[in-house]
Amino acid sequence: MTDRSEDAAGLTPLAFDILLALAGEDRHGYAILQEVAARTVGRSRPHAGTLYRAIARLVDAGWVEELEERPAPEEDDERRRYYRLTAAGRRVAAAEARRLEARVHVARGRNLLEPGLS
Amino acid sequence: VKPDATVWLYARLLRLYPAAYRARWAEEQARVYRSERRALSAATGGERLRHAAAAFGDVVRSAAAERVGVVVSRWHARGTPSRHAARSAKRRRNPMDELRRDVRQGLRTLSRNPVFAAVAVLTIALGIGANTAIFSVVRAVLLRPLPYTDAERLVVVQGEMVNRNVTNWPTSPPDFVDYREQVTLLESLEAVWTFSQPLTGADAEPEQVEVAAVTPGFLPMLGARAVAGRLFEASDAAPPPPDTPPAEGPPAMIVLSHELWQRRFGGDREMIGRTIDMFGNNATVVGVVQPGLELYMPPGAGLSQRIDVWFAPRIDAATAPRNNVFLRMAGKLRAGVSVAQAQGQLDAAVGRIRAINERAESAGLTQTLVPMQEELTRQVRPLVLALLGAVGFVLLIACANVSNLLLVRAAAREREMAVRSALGGSRTSIIRQVLTESLVLAIPGGLLGLLIAAGGIRLLLALQPPDVPRLETVGIDGIVLGYTALATVAAAILFGLLPAARASRTNLASVLKDRGVSAGGRRQARVHDAVVVLEVALSLVLLIGAGLMVRSFMALRDVDPGFDAPRILTFNVQVPGQRYPEAEQRYQFITGFRERLAALPGVTAVGAATPLPLSGVTSNGPYGTEDVLSDPERMRQAEVRIITEDYFAAMGTRVLDGRAFTDADRSDSVRYVVVDEVLARTTWPGERAVGKRMMIRFGTLDYRPAEVLGVVEHQRSASLAAEGRETLYYHDAAAGGPGGLSWLIHTDGDPVALAAGVRRVLAEIDPTIPITDVRPLQADVNAAMGPTRFALALIGVFGITALLLAAVGLYGVLAYTVRQRTPEIGIRMTFGAGGGSILRMVVRQGLALAAAGVGIGVVAALGLTRVIESRLVGVEATDPLTFIAVAVTFLAIAAVACAVPALRATRVDPLSSLRLE
Repeated sequence: MTDRSEDAAGLTPLAFDILLALAGEDRHGYAILQEVAARTVGRSRPHAGTLYRAIARLVDAGWVEELEERPAPEEDDERRRYYRLTAAGRRVAAAEARRLEARVHVARGRNLLEPGLS
Repeated sequence: VKPDATVWLYARLLRLYPAAYRARWAEEQARVYRSERRALSAATGGERLRHAAAAFGDVVRSAAAERVGVVVSRWHARGTPSRHAARSAKRRRNPMDELRRDVRQGLRTLSRNPVFAAVAVLTIALGIGANTAIFSVVRAVLLRPLPYTDAERLVVVQGEMVNRNVTNWPTSPPDFVDYREQVTLLESLEAVWTFSQPLTGADAEPEQVEVAAVTPGFLPMLGARAVAGRLFEASDAAPPPPDTPPAEGPPAMIVLSHELWQRRFGGDREMIGRTIDMFGNNATVVGVVQPGLELYMPPGAGLSQRIDVWFAPRIDAATAPRNNVFLRMAGKLRAGVSVAQAQGQLDAAVGRIRAINERAESAGLTQTLVPMQEELTRQVRPLVLALLGAVGFVLLIACANVSNLLLVRAAAREREMAVRSALGGSRTSIIRQVLTESLVLAIPGGLLGLLIAAGGIRLLLALQPPDVPRLETVGIDGIVLGYTALATVAAAILFGLLPAARASRTNLASVLKDRGVSAGGRRQARVHDAVVVLEVALSLVLLIGAGLMVRSFMALRDVDPGFDAPRILTFNVQVPGQRYPEAEQRYQFITGFRERLAALPGVTAVGAATPLPLSGVTSNGPYGTEDVLSDPERMRQAEVRIITEDYFAAMGTRVLDGRAFTDADRSDSVRYVVVDEVLARTTWPGERAVGKRMMIRFGTLDYRPAEVLGVVEHQRSASLAAEGRETLYYHDAAAGGPGGLSWLIHTDGDPVALAAGVRRVLAEIDPTIPITDVRPLQADVNAAMGPTRFALALIGVFGITALLLAAVGLYGVLAYTVRQRTPEIGIRMTFGAGGGSILRMVVRQGLALAAAGVGIGVVAALGLTRVIESRLVGVEATDPLTFIAVAVTFLAIAAVACAVPALRATRVDPLSSLRLE
């Protein structure tokens, strides 16, 4: 099970993962799911119900916007709704990344990330 | 890509979300699921199952969360929140977080009590697993439509001779034509019968193939289609001109099954139009039907299900006799026509036939239209429904158990709840917390239950009950998964309800003030007691059912079938009429074969018959005393068996009076019969049957006299469970010379060891004749016990599961009471009560509960065991011995379940128990 702890920004790991997935390009739901699963080597593979509740909250928060439906070339050209990161969403994701980075920095300073210790 | 049933179900499951959410997200969510399934299409069944189960759980969980969110935000929006709610509303803005907190809280509570969690999850898993397994049978056998076009409009026509107590009576070609013309409310009425036939060919082993003779419209009626060539046309069945010699007649038109076409002819399209070596090398292949087409006709008709060759017989209904019956009829109702309407027309048609055929009239012929699927499952439906009821009981018991466990814990957490409510937990939030904990238990229980069901289905298939049609198609599909999901949620609500109601009623003041057993505690105890009594009653009903099945199975094992099955090897060898056209040639063949078989080491007798008892095939014919000449309604119906001279010796069946056939009777065979003791007893009560004259109709269309040569022991034939019909034996020669026979070899050793020798002997005489169905006769006896074994195994497993659950439930409640009453027990012991009296006190309490449950259970069982009556052998559904034995056993087990907590009570240390107070 993934870590569900929340931070000050109110971002769950899944929400952060979704923002990360959309940071590079606009994606439809299944593509987000695949991207998250691939990046976390399958450790985080949400099911559709959980995924869409998270997307719903991100949309409500104004961090992600819904685009029009359009064909997905890699998925039989079936029509899909695409999602895009908003400017606010980009700021939130960046803030979250910086906070994590700061912690990683501390962790490195305390030799937590020495080879062989991970 | 194969359609995935779970996709459909997933889309339905999305209705669990609130409408507004669904309108916005459901379509996209379903698409993602579909993509995931597509990506999984190459995965193993287990992986696909696990994924579907997890995804369904995910929907249930997130939909529940979403709904809770909607309710909570509405509550907040009402603007009349309580003081606590207002405060909590400020504290947590997001309803989702609340659910997550509830779940986390639930998981934390459970992880503090791993044993409790494991017991609860396992209990639910047993209940859900049993339900899923049996529901998958209900789905495959009773619910799933037959694999034919417009299956719901297909009917079979069941003939009956009311005055002779004969069911499953076939019909004759002229009668069939009359019905077809007169019953116009049927869109089609077609006929079929099956037989087996050797198929030989230059470059392949001879094999016995199953042939279905059908009217040309039969296959199109089922919705069959040709994958090569064509199906039958009316001209394929056109009768030859009268007086055409068989050898010069038109060819037999046949359609191959896809399986035979692939297996024997390598799927060669050039086969269409070719002649193959069947029916005297005069069969023309016109087409091939689609793969997997099987014939599902009522079990009583004795037709084969797997057909290799479909064949259009050229029958001239105009010249065929009305009393030569062999056709099984099936039809399709016109759209919008009810069975009853068509039945009215059919009744009128039967009336006209009875008016012109005195035999149909005197036998009391009737024809009944029955929906095909209903008739196919008629015998097995009560058992399957009884099993569904049984597993429903198991689930109820499991829920009762978990409910009680939760109640016990709720009592222990009474103060926690009181404190929470004092600190601002609203009533709804507490109820929600308890129900969430139920779901946290139920969902893993349901998933584990799916695994148990998958294993259970495998076991069930291994039992191979012979009379459950389409059992081979049982599996877990979308519908079954949906049922499991529903059962899981229902179970969670069921076992969470009492604890939730209880938690929400917690009275702060009384709990915090009163440290002893509160008034609520006593009411609480009564709820526990009621739940346990219910559990005991439910499991007792199941155990009595299991007890009755055990009695039946034992009775069946002790049945003497009237023959010595363990010492007999049987096999089928059909002497092909084309190769041996004259009766004398066939006789030479079977005599030679018999002599060489008899010479095999260990063989004590060789006989042959058609059909064999317990083979699933029965054949019957009319007989009577000379009285029938004046009153044809006194004609009766007996099983008819065509036998060779040594049949009784080979079967180990005793000749009770007179003698069996001998070789010398061959020339005069039509004048003599052998009867069994049942026929002798019922026809000539108190008189000697040997030498009596009777009237028979066999091989001729008119009654003729025959003399009784001997009386033999009765053989059980149609079923092992019932004595069955009287039997009439005819000499093989009377049946027009040796034909298709099942052979029997009696040996003084292991019959299976003879099989190789038999094959060698046949190959030496004629290597072109196939030998099939080589098996010990005991295999048929075992198969005849299959239905009972199947019912026993399932009801037994469920009964024992229920017993264990009830015992655990009883134990749990007593253990809880003992803990609650520890101070009281301490005081009693301080005042001199001995261990013995404490022990008696606790056991008495437990046994009182068990006895109440047993009492209710016995009454319920009196009403409910009737549903398995048709499966019982040699025992009444209300057999007092079984009822008493099961009740006593149950009380004994209850006593053991009580003894453990009772012994713990006697070890209470008075001083420390008082300190608790």
